[in-house]
Amino acid sequence: MTSLGSSSSSATEYTVRVPKNTSKKYNLMAFNAGDKVNCSTWTQARMERDMSGRRIYGDEETADGAAGSEFGKKQREEARRKKFGIVKREFKVEDQPWILKVNGKAGKRFKGLKKGGVTENASYYIFTQCPDGAFEAFPVHGWYNFTPQAKHRTLTAEEAEEEWGRRNKVVNHFSIMLQRRFREQERGGDDDDDENEKSGKKKKKGGGRGGDLRIHDLEEDLEMSSDDSDSSLGDDGESKTKSKKDTGKGKAKKKKKRKSSDKEALEDSDDGDYEGLEVDYMSDESSSDEEPEKGKISKGEDHPKGIDEASESEEESEEEKPNEEEAKEEEEEEEGKKTPVQTEKKKKKDSSGESESSDDSDIDGETASALFMKKRTPPKRGGRGSAGSSRTGSRPGTPSIDSASTSNTLRAAASKLEQGKRPTPGPSADSPAAKRLKMEPSSQSPAPSGKSTPQPPSGKSTPSSSDVQLTEEAVRRYLIRKPMTTKDLLKKFQTKRTGLSSEQTVNVLAQILKRLNPERKNVNDKMHFYLTE
Amino acid sequence: MSEKGEVDLTGAKQNTGVWLVKVPKYLSQQWAKATGRGDVGKLRICKKGNQGKAEVSFTLNEELTVIDGIEDKTVSAPRDHPFTMQTVGGQMLAVFTENSSGQSEERSDGSSSVSGAGAGPDKIALEGVVVQRAECRPAVSESYMRLKRLQIEELAKPVRLSQQLDRVVTSNYKPVANHTYNLEYERKKKEDGKRARADKQQVLDMLFSAFEKHQFYNIKDLVDITKQPVIYLKEILRDIGIYNVKGTHKNTWELKPEYRHYQGEEKTDE
Repeated sequence: MTSLGSSSSSATEYTVRVPKNTSKKYNLMAFNAGDKVNCSTWTQARMERDMSGRRIYGDEETADGAAGSEFGKKQREEARRKKFGIVKREFKVEDQPWILKVNGKAGKRFKGLKKGGVTENASYYIFTQCPDGAFEAFPVHGWYNFTPQAKHRTLTAEEAEEEWGRRNKVVNHFSIMLQRRFREQERGGDDDDDENEKSGKKKKKGGGRGGDLRIHDLEEDLEMSSDDSDSSLGDDGESKTKSKKDTGKGKAKKKKKRKSSDKEALEDSDDGDYEGLEVDYMSDESSSDEEPEKGKISKGEDHPKGIDEASESEEESEEEKPNEEEAKEEEEEEEGKKTPVQTEKKKKKDSSGESESSDDSDIDGETASALFMKKRTPPKRGGRGSAGSSRTGSRPGTPSIDSASTSNTLRAAASKLEQGKRPTPGPSADSPAAKRLKMEPSSQSPAPSGKSTPQPPSGKSTPSSSDVQLTEEAVRRYLIRKPMTTKDLLKKFQTKRTGLSSEQTVNVLAQILKRLNPERKNVNDKMHFYLTE
Repeated sequence: MSEKGEVDLTGAKQNTGVWLVKVPKYLSQQWAKATGRGDVGKLRICKKGNQGKAEVSFTLNEELTVIDGIEDKTVSAPRDHPFTMQTVGGQMLAVFTENSSGQSEERSDGSSSVSGAGAGPDKIALEGVVVQRAECRPAVSESYMRLKRLQIEELAKPVRLSQQLDRVVTSNYKPVANHTYNLEYERKKKEDGKRARADKQQVLDMLFSAFEKHQFYNIKDLVDITKQPVIYLKEILRDIGIYNVKGTHKNTWELKPEYRHYQGEEKTDE
């Protein structure tokens, strides 16, 4: 503690003390530079030993004197161990890792592993300066390397390997964890409905993301089902409208995941099975599938595709927003189901089948999904062959197909509407939601009702050559004349003739139908609308 | 008293800076021999002007230079030890203390320790953050070299040593007419005699009480317990028990299901 002023440079001398009687053991806590840990920001911390290794070292406890016990079992086990020279390592509490929790439950967690060999050849001392100026040196008892523990879910080794194999194909990496979470939930028997609600809306956006582990190959595009369209949309959305997707991502992923995970399994096995197979348009899904695929194929590039899909996704997002407000479970489910389906290229077939069934089965609350599908399909109208039918890339790309696809979706929407109407006199929760959904998109699009001449009544199958405007009048005229399905109605109001985009058409038509409240009848297993004057 | 596991963060909040110094083994051994308050030496810090690196050197106390266990008096620990200062680098090194004796000591940096009766086990406290790392090196000197050489020689000696003996070792085993153990054994045998068959009911009682304790028994163990001849015992066992040939409990006898009433099993009493 003596201060000596020395020659030119200032030198100070301090006494060094090594206290003898301290019961405190000094240890070092080492953090990695990259973690940027600042101790002074900690408000509270808890640290205790991680005793999970004890059971490994501890003896297996068997019931004594109860059923299953043997006379002299312990001695026999011990003798056996000695004979084979099995030596059990002691469980030393001193060597166990530390678990450090900072700032309570919501804070960080660290695991501190003891670093071996620190005190073997040299000793470390901690020099602290006392108030009286002397230094006190304490020997370091142990060195622990603390690493932060991830709170987020991580992939297991097998899953990681799987994903690594697919890394070139997967565009949407965010979906990977979503799917995993989905799988876990499924296993845990979670109630997906709520999630579906939230995610359904988002699904559209995220749908592409969630299930899509697809390559943007033409073949896959062709195979795309409605899910694919979603996925493509999702993909595009990813590339273009990241922000939008991010919001929707989480929720969409949940639902999508379930679907995608389901679909994935299916698709793998079905890859290539259905090439060249021609299938009639039976479901909304397939038609919607075609449309997105068509769009994709026509572009044939990611870039233009992206733009297309970005616009689609934008539309979707618009739709999604109202949907979110509605929070229709079933709608969401539909959406969810569809979107993952879409994302899976291979699953196209399956998904289309599924979507069909799902369409038929979940009539309630399908309106939203129908709307979505509507939205999806119109943009893609340009040109894909039926998703189900041709994988190899033959694309009919005819307007009829488009209208078919849109009508499919419309039909789904309509059928949902009907369902909504049937149980209650007034519009049910689903239908208003669906209707509102339809309203909103339609409100965004130019009001067709204000438009001009109603289409002259013509047979279902005969396309009118004159200009067609999508008005209530026109629809009414059609429906009075003859019962029609939504598909047929859509055929009447083709985008090329009405000047509206396919999505808009769908929306407007849905609105009109809501207003008209036509009667329904089932002909050939298809729901027809008709009006009686 | 804070609960177990709660870390005392006073050191972290005060941002006390400490030095981490790597010290050679012999020096730490000498330090352990310090008497009194624990004074071991003096630390001298020279700052060259404003810029220059600080030169730190540690001087060992005279009395601590004597090394035990070495006969050669010329070999002693060196006194001068310059410190090589290093930066901490990217790592964040914190110092925490663990009080494991059950006695709790509240210590902030360097102030007098207050010991209170600690009810809980370890008390963990964060003492501070390492701001400077240093290595204590001895100033090279003749005595140091000799010391080192001695150390190396010590370590070079093999742990096991083969030694040639002059004479035969006769102290371990001596031939004996008959071992004491054998004698005892024969005596016991004679005294106990052959096992006699007791009443069947008695044997059954013994068996049931034995099976109450454990479910599976080896035949040898049962013979031991009941002190019955093997054949007789086996007959009785065939009545009330079954013999496990396969499975985990191989070659063991257990009671028939209708006679058992272990926990979790259906009971039918006999």
